[in-house]
Amino acid sequence: MKQQQQDQAVETHGFLGEEFLTWIWWRWETDGGEFTLPGGRVVGVALDDFLSFAAPSDDETEQTLRRGLPTRTAEARTALRQGNRLRKARLLIAEGSRQWNATMDAPSLTLTGVKLPEDAEECESDVDRNADRSANWLALHEIVQGLYGMFLQARLAPGFKTGGAEQMARWMAGGK
Amino acid sequence: MAALKKSGSFVVFHWDGKLTDPRDQAFADALENRRFRTIENAASEEVSAGWVTAGDPTGDSFDAEDLDGGAGTWLRFRIDKKKMPMKWLQIHRDAAEKSRGKKLSARERRELKDDLMEQLLPRVLPTITLVDALLYHDRKTVQLFATSKTARETFSKLFFDTFGEPLERANPLQSGLRAAIGPELRAQLDRLEPIRWPRAEKAGALARAPQRPAKAMAGDDGAGAGEGEA
Repeated sequence: MKQQQQDQAVETHGFLGEEFLTWIWWRWETDGGEFTLPGGRVVGVALDDFLSFAAPSDDETEQTLRRGLPTRTAEARTALRQGNRLRKARLLIAEGSRQWNATMDAPSLTLTGVKLPEDAEECESDVDRNADRSANWLALHEIVQGLYGMFLQARLAPGFKTGGAEQMARWMAGGK
Repeated sequence: MAALKKSGSFVVFHWDGKLTDPRDQAFADALENRRFRTIENAASEEVSAGWVTAGDPTGDSFDAEDLDGGAGTWLRFRIDKKKMPMKWLQIHRDAAEKSRGKKLSARERRELKDDLMEQLLPRVLPTITLVDALLYHDRKTVQLFATSKTARETFSKLFFDTFGEPLERANPLQSGLRAAIGPELRAQLDRLEPIRWPRAEKAGALARAPQRPAKAMAGDDGAGAGEGEA
């Protein structure tokens, strides 16, 4: 039963994850992709070399773009213009000197193919290394959760309809 | 000491209740109660899942240092599966049919299979899967470093059997309910509807709203379908 409820939550609110990923893309292109998370944490986020757009309905085609700079392609721009939401994307996330790569599956908010930052130079033992890596795993989760919180603040705000949504729509239509 | 992985995939789970502090001996004891048990010599097709540690894949010991994952508590579970290799069954069946000069009946095939299982399965080694997780006690959060349905379900069951706490998998709704956005915004989440981007619609691209299950269609926060129309 619990599993069913969880699957249903992905099914009913998966769109929110897709809107979140599209919002990251918009913020990256229009605002440089720098985010100040609650608590003052400053992170940079960019889209990398993999994009997959959700099919608008079950009988339409899903579109996947790989390698190079897929966000710059005509196919990606067309998908955006058609109002398609981003289902998966490879992200680069940076905080200070640390950088993570991960593919986000937006409907479930699952991160796959994660690459952690290099181990810190001061790691001299396995214990140090494990502590460093676990801190990096946790940081990645916190950053994504922080970004998602920022997105929700904007998305659920009373003025979103005439503010952020309108700006995003202009960007998707080809403007800035 | 084993090394925590530096690449891979993960899913996030949360729990709501009170969990034994991983620094307490009771935590290690709870893991030990659901420790991994070998099926190496089993004479039937079986699956065994239970806790081990990064330092001891047998499940015989749960030393505090092996559970120390720095920022989190390092959990590891092991799933062994013993399965009769189908090729062996086929080879023996073909040999039996050849020597008789005719096909085996369904009953004879079943008997042959049972005999072979009894003879061969104790000699078949199980496949071993080790899955790691990092548990952050103060955040009521676990990162499971596997995304397969089997790993997720096995972990959720093992966690519940061990600690008596059901896990909720993170998803856009659950993560929203746990985000620091305040109760008013949080209350809107359940009723939220997807945005249909207006300019794209004007361009004639999308005329339909994304399909949603009936339950979620019941309410609308007023910021839903058609929202943002210019």
